Amino acid sequence: MKTKSVFIPVVILAACFVTSLGWAGDEGKVVVMNPQGIKPEIRKIPMATRPTTLDGKTVYIVDTKYPNTKPFVNELLAALKAKYPKTTWVLREKFAGYMDDDPNLWKEIKEKGAGAIVLPGH
Amino acid sequence: MITQRFQELVTTTAFKKGIPHMRITYTPHPITDRPADLCREYVAGNDPLTDRPMLEEIYAGLTKKVSAEDGKGGFLKREPRPRLLPPDTPDHLMEYFHEQGFTDGNPIILPTEEKVAEMLKATSHEPDEWVGQMRPSPPHEAWYYTVEMVAVNAVMAGAEPEYFPVILAIASKGVTSLFSSTSSFARMVVVNGPVIKEIGMNTGIGALSPVNRANSSIGRCWTLISKNLGGSGKPGETYLASQGNQLSYNNLCFPENEDGLPAGWDPFHVQKGFDRSESVVSIFSGWSINDIAWYSPLPIHEVIRGWLEHFFSFGTRQATLILDPIVAADVASNGHPTKEAFARFLADNTGTPGWLYWSENPNALKQAEEGVEPYAGWLKKGKGAVVPVSRYKGRRRNNANFMASQDNNEPTTSIEIVVTGGGTNTFWSGGDFGYVGSASVDYWR
Repeated sequence: MKTKSVFIPVVILAACFVTSLGWAGDEGKVVVMNPQGIKPEIRKIPMATRPTTLDGKTVYIVDTKYPNTKPFVNELLAALKAKYPKTTWVLREKFAGYMDDDPNLWKEIKEKGAGAIVLPGH
Repeated sequence: MITQRFQELVTTTAFKKGIPHMRITYTPHPITDRPADLCREYVAGNDPLTDRPMLEEIYAGLTKKVSAEDGKGGFLKREPRPRLLPPDTPDHLMEYFHEQGFTDGNPIILPTEEKVAEMLKATSHEPDEWVGQMRPSPPHEAWYYTVEMVAVNAVMAGAEPEYFPVILAIASKGVTSLFSSTSSFARMVVVNGPVIKEIGMNTGIGALSPVNRANSSIGRCWTLISKNLGGSGKPGETYLASQGNQLSYNNLCFPENEDGLPAGWDPFHVQKGFDRSESVVSIFSGWSINDIAWYSPLPIHEVIRGWLEHFFSFGTRQATLILDPIVAADVASNGHPTKEAFARFLADNTGTPGWLYWSENPNALKQAEEGVEPYAGWLKKGKGAVVPVSRYKGRRRNNANFMASQDNNEPTTSIEIVVTGGGTNTFWSGGDFGYVGSASVDYWR
């Protein structure tokens, strides 16, 4: 009797402890909630068909105007012109800052260009 | 094209934008501030990641046939989001949370359903109600979250349930505390109104220090929310701060000492159009704070003026002063009856250090050198002399708050003033923080 009367409160105490921790069951494991939010769905953008050659084509080089990167932009343009002279390389500065969109430029490239290189920052 | 340092950023961003196989050519890092000779070498050399000639790789990117899969539309598969995580031992779960980047590197309280349910009792809002959306910076995708998801993070941060409406108000602004920029942003949150005393926030000695549970856990929770609900804080992908910012552990979370305001000085939330009886959180953005512990024969308002004139950081066109109540009393007794009047005095009586003004205004320098006034007269005093043009007049678009929604009630200067502290000395703090916006705590009760 004595053993049983001690055992019962111990079991009750253990059950309370387990419940307070969100104990999952007999394996001493805990169930916790997912802390992450909901990520949006991603709609694929089909990649444009590529021309087999750029000879006779126009390719835009889009300068995003990151501070103090002009020397790189100019050297890239010069090197592309020298290596691929049959292609027309058009350098254009993007509107406003590097984080701003420029839908007019994208429209022009779609209409007149065979491709575009968007340049880096930093 | 992008520099090699941002490979992880650009590949993950391309995926999230729906172009998982975007063609990318890498350059050495950095290219900014590099001379033409070196840039010529870069262009003539190889892509540092693929080790193929840079120009040929560009050409191939523009001409190589696109696969049938990449030419298709549709949706990209994402991992499902279970509400509950698989059962495990507390120790394993703690490690799992650290490994997944769910924490700030310190231990958290495991968010069991029971603890989250207790947290949810502190608001009348339904667990599945949308609170907002948040993103690491404008080019990144936004994640969405509910009241329950915010409660999970509140439990993790060690918040008491009575803090929860304050945390929901912060979350409702949708502003990440871990803004992803190569500069190391910090955020600040100031609490006003009756909720300060209701939940026992510290407005006195050590208000900015880790000596109060509410100040600490609410501020910490904003970091966890930013990581887990706003998708922020993954180095190289959604967090690019080169050195990072220690202020981000707690995001300078403190309440204004409204009882310590001089007569005539309104609490910050009243300045922004709220009623004095409302409880409100106000969000700021900046980079750094100076603590000015210095005795001077000058009156304090003159010391503050001098500091503002010469203060320099990335956020050079805005400032927030955090004044101890006895500093505020000194300032008020020296002829500044309101916060607004003091801010106007400072904006009207601070110039710009010459080295800064002339380097930022090359056209003005050119005109000065051509004898055009008033520039010529300013330059005549020396290139290092203070130029009488304030950096703090009116609102300017600046890096600190861009793309974080700006509320109305624009200040007439870019100087904000908040009072907190215990009055143990006539010291104060100031930094390059700008006001972003406020949210009602009472709405979330």
